[in-house]
Amino acid sequence: MSTVRHATLDELLALRDGEGSGWTREHVADCSVCAAELARLEQVRSQLRALPSFAPPRDVWPVVRRAAQADRRRRRISAWSGALAAAAIAVLAFTLLRPSAKVAPEDVALQKAMAESAAMEQMFESLHPDRRALSGQAAGVVADLEDQLAQVDAALNDTVAWRSNPVRVAGLWKQRAGLLSALVDVHETRASVAGL
Amino acid sequence: MADTLALAEAKSLVARARAGDLSALEQVYRAYERPVYSLARRLTKSAEDAEDVLQETFLEVCRSLKQWRGEGSLWGWIRTIAASKALMRYRREKLRAWEPLEDDVPRQAEDVPLQMDLESALARLPERSRAVVWLHDVEGYTHEEIAELMGMTTSFSKSQLARAHDRLRRWLGAGVGA
Repeated sequence: MSTVRHATLDELLALRDGEGSGWTREHVADCSVCAAELARLEQVRSQLRALPSFAPPRDVWPVVRRAAQADRRRRRISAWSGALAAAAIAVLAFTLLRPSAKVAPEDVALQKAMAESAAMEQMFESLHPDRRALSGQAAGVVADLEDQLAQVDAALNDTVAWRSNPVRVAGLWKQRAGLLSALVDVHETRASVAGL
Repeated sequence: MADTLALAEAKSLVARARAGDLSALEQVYRAYERPVYSLARRLTKSAEDAEDVLQETFLEVCRSLKQWRGEGSLWGWIRTIAASKALMRYRREKLRAWEPLEDDVPRQAEDVPLQMDLESALARLPERSRAVVWLHDVEGYTHEEIAELMGMTTSFSKSQLARAHDRLRRWLGAGVGA
């Protein structure tokens, strides 16, 4: 008396996917039970592929667009930061290396404001703002802050103003540190709400 | 799903989007929002999760557009991002809440003969099994690719597929599409 072994589900799935063994192939050719099971598996796959797709319940594009715009602003900020740092070093060097110069109070204030801005920028970058999804309201606040930041950076790029009005320049750096601090707050709030 | 954008058109749109053209980026979004959302619905637990995956996927697409070299289909690239986001969400949730490794369908419920339609049976599968069935049988991913996406082994993917089909067979009864 011989015992018939039918193909297992794994063997039939492998055969369906073009990876079956020679034994499975030969067995299915002779066994109507396994041939029917193979046909059933093929039918399930076809019917899965024919299931309807789903339409998103809400339009997410406005959020994606805001994120893309914010990403572009951040890249601009990042590029400007390098230029600003270079300009700041040049002006400070010019100021401090004058043979007769003492360090003026406004220069000290400027150095302090720049250091605060650099610290805030580092903190902002450490939050990886480009990897976060923001709600519509938070994205609006961030966009507004980044616009203001872009205006401050544009003003700071005017290196002539650096020499003519160092007090105003220190004020701009302070403003820059404040805007970055606000951006940090928005992203930190988002992180704590999301449990990240 | 067949790619809704021809390769040449996709390359042109991506080049414009990289240069800052938001209308080009929107065309990419519109072409793939439905397939991404549909895939996310099959791989996640709820419509809300799927919507989050849709958003996260396109935020990633915006950030990573320069990484698509135009060598493969744009849909294939976006689909892998979407699957990865959906499965990442699942892995994060697993870290927060314990779930039985093999079965999250009560044994008693499984033993009851059922006659379900395919959509209901698919929804009833454990999340991991459903993800494997969908990625393999519908999206055409290999077991090796699924294993990589899920951070599991190839044999895990194969066994999940077999388990899922075993359950579908019982739940669907004699008529596959009943």
